[in-house]
Amino acid sequence: MNGPQRGGVAGTIRFSFDGKPLLARPGDTLAAALLANRIGLVARSFKYHRPRGIMAAGVEEPNALVTVGTSGRSEPNTRATDVFVYDGMVARSQNRWPNLSFDVGSVLGLAAKALPAGFYYKTFFGSAKRWMFYEWFIRRAAGLGDAPTAADPDRFSQRAVFYDVLVVGAGPAGLAAALAAAEAGERVILVEQDSVLAPSLVRDPQDLDPAWAEATAARIGELGGRILLRTTAAGYWDDNLITLSQRLAEPGEPPAGGIAQRLWHVRAKRVVLATGALERPLAFAHNDRPGVMLSQAVRTYVRRFGVVPGQRVIIATNNDDAYLTAAALRDAGAEVVAVLETRPAPAGASSGFTVHNDTMPLTTNGARHHLREVSARVDGKIVRWQADLLAMSGGFTPVVHLHMQAGGAALDWDDASQSFLPGAARQNVVSVGAAASVAPVGPTPPPENPAKAFIDFQNDVSLGDVDLAWAEGYRSVEHLKRYTTLGMATDQGKTSNMAALGRLAEKQGVAIPEAGLTTFRPPYTPVTMGLLAGRIERDAGAHLRRLALFDVHQARQPIWQPLGYWQRPRAYPQGAETLAEAALREGRSVRTAVGMTDVSTLAKFEVSGPDAVQQLELVCATTVGKLAVGRGRYTFMLREDGLVFDDGTVWRLAEDRYLLTSSTGGADRMAVHLSYVRQFLCPQFRVSVVNVQEHYAGIAVAGPTAKAVLAGLIGEEVPRHMSAVRASIAGIPVLVLAASYSGERAFEVYAEASLAEPVWNACEAEVTAQGGCLYGMEAMEFLRIEKGHLVVGGEIDGRLTPHDLALDKMLNKAGGYIGAAGLTRPALTAPGRRQLVGLEAIAGTIPEGAMLVTAPGQPADGHVTAAALRVLESGSIALGQLVDGFARHGEELIATSPTRNQSAAVRVVAPHFYDTAGERYRD
Amino acid sequence: MTDITITALPAAPLHVFEIWSNPAAVANRFETALGRSLPVLGRALQLPAMRLIRYEPAVWLVEGEATGLAEILGSDGSLTAIGGGLVRVRLRGADWRSLLMEGGVFDAESKTFAPGCSAATVIDHINVRLFVESEDVCLAYVPLSYAHDMIHFWTVAAKALP
Amino acid sequence: MLLITCPHCGPRAQLEFVYERTVDSVVQPHTDPTEAMERLFTRANPRGLDDEIWRHTFGCRAWLVMTRHRTTHAIAAIRAAGPEALP
Repeated sequence: MNGPQRGGVAGTIRFSFDGKPLLARPGDTLAAALLANRIGLVARSFKYHRPRGIMAAGVEEPNALVTVGTSGRSEPNTRATDVFVYDGMVARSQNRWPNLSFDVGSVLGLAAKALPAGFYYKTFFGSAKRWMFYEWFIRRAAGLGDAPTAADPDRFSQRAVFYDVLVVGAGPAGLAAALAAAEAGERVILVEQDSVLAPSLVRDPQDLDPAWAEATAARIGELGGRILLRTTAAGYWDDNLITLSQRLAEPGEPPAGGIAQRLWHVRAKRVVLATGALERPLAFAHNDRPGVMLSQAVRTYVRRFGVVPGQRVIIATNNDDAYLTAAALRDAGAEVVAVLETRPAPAGASSGFTVHNDTMPLTTNGARHHLREVSARVDGKIVRWQADLLAMSGGFTPVVHLHMQAGGAALDWDDASQSFLPGAARQNVVSVGAAASVAPVGPTPPPENPAKAFIDFQNDVSLGDVDLAWAEGYRSVEHLKRYTTLGMATDQGKTSNMAALGRLAEKQGVAIPEAGLTTFRPPYTPVTMGLLAGRIERDAGAHLRRLALFDVHQARQPIWQPLGYWQRPRAYPQGAETLAEAALREGRSVRTAVGMTDVSTLAKFEVSGPDAVQQLELVCATTVGKLAVGRGRYTFMLREDGLVFDDGTVWRLAEDRYLLTSSTGGADRMAVHLSYVRQFLCPQFRVSVVNVQEHYAGIAVAGPTAKAVLAGLIGEEVPRHMSAVRASIAGIPVLVLAASYSGERAFEVYAEASLAEPVWNACEAEVTAQGGCLYGMEAMEFLRIEKGHLVVGGEIDGRLTPHDLALDKMLNKAGGYIGAAGLTRPALTAPGRRQLVGLEAIAGTIPEGAMLVTAPGQPADGHVTAAALRVLESGSIALGQLVDGFARHGEELIATSPTRNQSAAVRVVAPHFYDTAGERYRD
Repeated sequence: MTDITITALPAAPLHVFEIWSNPAAVANRFETALGRSLPVLGRALQLPAMRLIRYEPAVWLVEGEATGLAEILGSDGSLTAIGGGLVRVRLRGADWRSLLMEGGVFDAESKTFAPGCSAATVIDHINVRLFVESEDVCLAYVPLSYAHDMIHFWTVAAKALP
Repeated sequence: MLLITCPHCGPRAQLEFVYERTVDSVVQPHTDPTEAMERLFTRANPRGLDDEIWRHTFGCRAWLVMTRHRTTHAIAAIRAAGPEALP
């Protein structure tokens, strides 16, 4: 008895496991390489820290989870059976301390009775504080690998493709289906999660020559089909959309071609599932010991990898397939001691092996974390065999995951094979090969000792736990799953669900199909976060929109600020200035001389046509019709429920042509709203609404000398406040709107974005000549708060009416605008509404976002929407919303921000702190 | 090696040509004046000095000299300049179709997306309009504020096509 | 992700579309306030087919009325909404 062995030449690929340098052969999975290096113990179990070995040879492996790779490429919870060894691979075992063979946590196994199903529910209740205390220990004791903390250096790609036929699985059935489709002239894509075609033929060459697979694949390629290896169909979505995860590099491996993984979105007219079947373990005491493996997996290691996982073998089976394993082992020189058959004689009689019928293993014993002895009841007596390998087969479960993910699909129970087979489906999908039918099996007798008879190896759930859940009243399969955590591990119960269902059905006294099924959810095998979240470029997940004048600003070294979708200059510090110092200097320049800033991001719409006024009077709650050509005015917009959702200005540029501006942050929403009104509500309108937000770059010039600056630039009379003229600056045609946001006399200059740079430069030269400077978002915020101008998303937060914002006097008396009906709702005029107020600090600095309370500990009466420092004088001021705020001017409140641990005493005042008469922006 | 060159073209005059009434009459006037029909959705019309891409049911994007079109529209529609806000990016080389599948959702590899066709779609979260100039060249109209990131995305993606 | 057949553009990925509201919640301009609020705040919300308004926002920007089954997502019918346009 020597455990796993591999003959012949040593490998050439260097890798390490738990720091130990080892060699592998090309084509080895990590599992095969570990067995070849005679390493049987590879993991500790999730809950009880039981020693675990390799049980399977494919993605269903529940035990052998390892961390592969280092630093940012480290990938935890990788199945050793689903990663191919590459030179330099670093693999580590998980969930053990200080090491695999001596693990302190394994005392939990001795205390297994104290950690029954539902342990957490029963033990850890009480206050949240206590839970946080427990959690620290639980997280350390129970668990999987550690997520890497370093940034993932790899790139990922997402790609769409459209095909007539997608075939999942390049086994014999899948290859045949793909070839048939390709020969019929269909565009075919065939995907295989393994690194080789038809791995089942390598295992069972007696079925079909593996060379057939290569020839078939070549023919599919000639016919224009695409074949992807190391590619898993992970999710099946609506309208035959299937997501594939493709490994271009193995876990932890630096990618050769630039990207590590590719997420494919395949839209197929037809899907063929040739996903095969998974072998089931048998449930008996200590069936989780290293050296107990699935029968077909043993055959795979022998035939595909040349590794014989044991020398003295017991076979336990309820079907014929395991005899192929017995034969493969015998051919490889191992001794098959006995076959334990659950079926009565004469099953197995002609196999040439020693077969004991009507029996299965009772229990196993081990030494040094490996199988040493198997016992079973034969003819009423307990018999013990020395063995270092137990190959078991409890029958086969067709892989119906994708079929079920497709939605609206049925499963048909097949009594002979004791399995669910894919039935009718709503989507255009068909299953073929072993995914559609598997061989019959004999009975699977219940174990004598269910407590240590594991069914979900990854989450340490035994048949005893299922019994306990039943005894405690958990009847439905969904409750059973949640209470025991069965099937909830990273393998999603690929090898465990049928055993649990069988036990539950037995308890319920019903047939298995009546016991019900849990939902099959994507992904079929785990996918990395990088694949889903990573992009071709690491930081490109959410694009920050660039101003047309980005390069101009960049040359002036601003502090950039992401604001909504946009990246905008926050301030232009000089020397060692802080943000606040720079913003105050810029703001003072606007108040005392002149400043200029980029306002390109404002939403802008050109509305033209004979019905332009009708369109605008529906959208705007103010009057538009009386506007003279060349004039503009402030406006605001209501939702249908009567609440203000945006504001801006409307300008009459020509008889039938208007320009509507609105907030930057609401630009997309306003575009949809305008389109809804124009296209859906009023398709009869003779109007064209065009989004020109990006067509025009905008420059605001504001301050007492702005008029002189503009006059110098356009060489003609500047427009009076709220008037518009067309002019030219630096030879570029511009539209000049005289409008003020800062409270000073101000102009907005709009030029076609691609031509705007010389306009900016001319403006900046003139502003500088007048002693002014550039200003950014921070100064703009100070200026507008002081003036009491509103911001969408701040004061205008979608909860206030025009009256609440003191805008009601501007409402179109004739009505007819969208939101007029909503405004009639009685609750919108009832007392107790939040209203716009100003706040000035009596002591301290008003914290941004603070709550307004009458005394400490009282519920909030309102909140601060925007806080600022006075620009010319000293003092802290803010705008806010306050319950019945109009009637509370003069009242003293506390503005408190528990999250910032800041507060200030404030006085409620009118929301205008500067030039309340509005004299400064008029001539 | 991937066969593709990505070039941002200089700004060109672009206009929205929108019809709000009497579409048949406008179409007739267009045909009379220019000898060609207004293109249907998903199609473009290439004239010596002008290209028209229909990109909404009643809206065409006009690239080039558009002044004559105001007369054709008469009182049944209007022209609005939008050229400042769009960057034309030229994808030249046999692999442009494969490149457009990166981060995309539209089947640019379909044979029906042939020269003269156009489509609007989303690529890497950015809304773009595509126009197939020839088997070797596709033009993309990209919003100015996203153009830098879009070109960067394509440049990187082009190096790792399957 | 659904495959939605835009009446103008043909089959396109759901990602290009934005759901806006159900047809029964549309309030025409100048509707009597009581009726307007009734339509705005009360929905049929059927477990089955419903008429929904979508927009091909990142495609041809046209508005659509889609009759969609709200449990299976199956789309029974799609029609274009909006101004009369050329064929």
